[in-house]
Amino acid sequence: MKAKSQSLREYRGERLQALTVRQARFIDAIAARILPTTDTPGAVEAGAVFYIDRALAGPYPHLLSRYARGLRALDALAKTQFGAAFEKLNGVQKDAALSDLESGRITELHHGEGFFELLRTHVLEGVFGEPSYGGNRDMIGWKLVGFPGQQWGYSETYINKVVDLPPVTWEGLTKKPGQS
Amino acid sequence: MNGKIADVCIVGVGAVGGILAKQLTSAGLKVVAFERGPALKTAEYAQRDSISYIARPEQLEGVRHEPRIFRTSARQPGNLRYGTSPFNVLGGSMLLWTGQASRFMPGDFKVYSNEVASGLADRAGIDLRGYDVVDWPVGYDDLEPYYERFEWEFGVAGVAGMNPFAGPRQKPYPLPPLKMTARMQLFGEAAKRLGYHPFIGPAAVTSEPYRPPPPYDTRIPERPACVYCGHCNHYGCHVNAKASTLHTAIPVALQTGSLDLRTNCKVANITTDDRGLVTGVKYFDPSGALQEQRARVVILSAFVFEHVRLLLLSKGSKRFKNGLANSSGLVGKCFFGHGDMRVYGLFDNFIVNGFIGSGAAAMRIDDFNGNNFDHTALGFIRGGTVGCSGDGTPVSRMDIVPPDVRSWGKAYKEYFMRYYTRTFDVHMAPETLPRRDNCVDLDPRRRDRWGLPLPRVTFAFRENEKRMHLFLADIGERILREAGASKVWTELPRPAPTRQCGGTRMGADPKNSVVNGYCQSHDIPNLFIVGSSVFPTMSGYPATATISALAYRTAEYIERQRDWFH
Repeated sequence: MKAKSQSLREYRGERLQALTVRQARFIDAIAARILPTTDTPGAVEAGAVFYIDRALAGPYPHLLSRYARGLRALDALAKTQFGAAFEKLNGVQKDAALSDLESGRITELHHGEGFFELLRTHVLEGVFGEPSYGGNRDMIGWKLVGFPGQQWGYSETYINKVVDLPPVTWEGLTKKPGQS
Repeated sequence: MNGKIADVCIVGVGAVGGILAKQLTSAGLKVVAFERGPALKTAEYAQRDSISYIARPEQLEGVRHEPRIFRTSARQPGNLRYGTSPFNVLGGSMLLWTGQASRFMPGDFKVYSNEVASGLADRAGIDLRGYDVVDWPVGYDDLEPYYERFEWEFGVAGVAGMNPFAGPRQKPYPLPPLKMTARMQLFGEAAKRLGYHPFIGPAAVTSEPYRPPPPYDTRIPERPACVYCGHCNHYGCHVNAKASTLHTAIPVALQTGSLDLRTNCKVANITTDDRGLVTGVKYFDPSGALQEQRARVVILSAFVFEHVRLLLLSKGSKRFKNGLANSSGLVGKCFFGHGDMRVYGLFDNFIVNGFIGSGAAAMRIDDFNGNNFDHTALGFIRGGTVGCSGDGTPVSRMDIVPPDVRSWGKAYKEYFMRYYTRTFDVHMAPETLPRRDNCVDLDPRRRDRWGLPLPRVTFAFRENEKRMHLFLADIGERILREAGASKVWTELPRPAPTRQCGGTRMGADPKNSVVNGYCQSHDIPNLFIVGSSVFPTMSGYPATATISALAYRTAEYIERQRDWFH
């Protein structure tokens, strides 16, 4: 029984800690619109959904029901307006549905604009935050914007120069705090 | 020291409490110091964790940031907020600050005389009814030697004489300035071309390894030099280049053997006797049990909100039915702070790399601070500092989006990918004039984890501030355009002020102030309140250098009262 429920919670080869597979797939579909994959990777490749899953399993369990309600309302809107589940819509339709959420036009959802802001913030934190929180896989978010990660320090201040240092995480540093 | 009467009891061990503990124990006094937070090790506070430190401040409640209630008018119930100050650990907000270490200017201590009584406000065209401005009972000259001691003990980097608006000084800064960054260069050149007077802002960040030389306190340990990692604001410093009492004053105080330091202890109230003196404090120990410590002198050094709360909670005998030190009725009143605001600039032709540098390493101008410019017909008095800023990891910067770019989708991605390394901000810290209706009191309903009422802030910017904000926004936009920004936009202050001050202001007249120029209660001679809560007015500068100077001066005053301790 335990093994079965675990396999049910498998998404993209990883075990989910708070979200259902359906919810994870839905969030990935939204993440793909918030920071899309273009000729460079986006929120999906960065694993933003796993950042959100771990946040909901960790410090934000009280937000799980908010996610569930918000996603249901967004799906209901997609079906009413476009006749299909959110994930089945094309990009333009998905953006239209998300815009409705962002501007608070989904009247069935209390404070829908707040839920959109939460989604946007969590997706972007999942792209640009520390990889140890489950997102920003392979430091994709940092590479996108040219942030070389958590360097111990810089020997110069790179005035009008590209910083050509390979990005690092705090955990990846060999020196540790307390040393100088 | 449990059961015994301490010479001095210190409540809150941050910048002020750390200095007081060092000075008083060095003078031979027995000190018990309470800090409600833990004593963190470098590895515990120096993680580069933008999720915990920037994105989830409420996760640090209790250990670090305590909640308070904020509202913009007395008609609202108010909302729960978490501020970054104070940081509830040993060393206090000095662990998270950027290190801006400017002294106030001579005129900052005489706003009432110079700008209200003199008729300048009338000429400016502002009606100051509703505001409550008084002069400081101390002036720049009184504090100058103590500013110097702060700069040499904590290691301030800067260039003396570069800012034409700064007050006179006996000694230069102990350290040369920090390295120039792109935003400093762009800001400085543009400000100069516009006819302003840019200078390198003094920073309590070591530009070289530093240990105070004689005649300063040579017991203070050496600190290594800044490595320009860019994680200053809201982060602990992993090399401890950023000055904090945790690595300077506190170890020296502990070495004396006269400091009984009690961390994770929350002071609940101050006890009094029939003579109208304070006798010590009651506090919750780490297990949550209520304990008592008696002392001959009590010093509050725990920041604005806690000062007001403790004084209002400590009603004691009938004599103090409105709270301690409150015969003026001014405890909690005349609360104010900075209306932090920013102008953002995008640069197509310059790579700024704002994530490199030291948080306090900035080029600034004081041309629009205090009374440094002609206010005739401007509609306001006073002003603010204007300087370059813009540090931050992608999590800190991801919400900064120009008004004409949607904050998500392909356009957002293209924007952030192009400009994360090509942007900096002009940061302005406009001061706020004090009013009695901008205040801190106790929330009637909501309580903290010890069951104590939460502090409740009621605050709104009024006409003088709103006009000042618009005026300064224009200056910031002008500088960024001159620096070559292709797009600029302004973010006006949020409703809650930052770098909070007031609530227990100092003054010469006991009828309209809480403490005197030595931070001593007018009503209770063995009660001292030290910190920005005593400021009657402020400056465009942060408070740290000034509260540190006040701490040295107050310690010296207490040391001289030999008859109190025998």
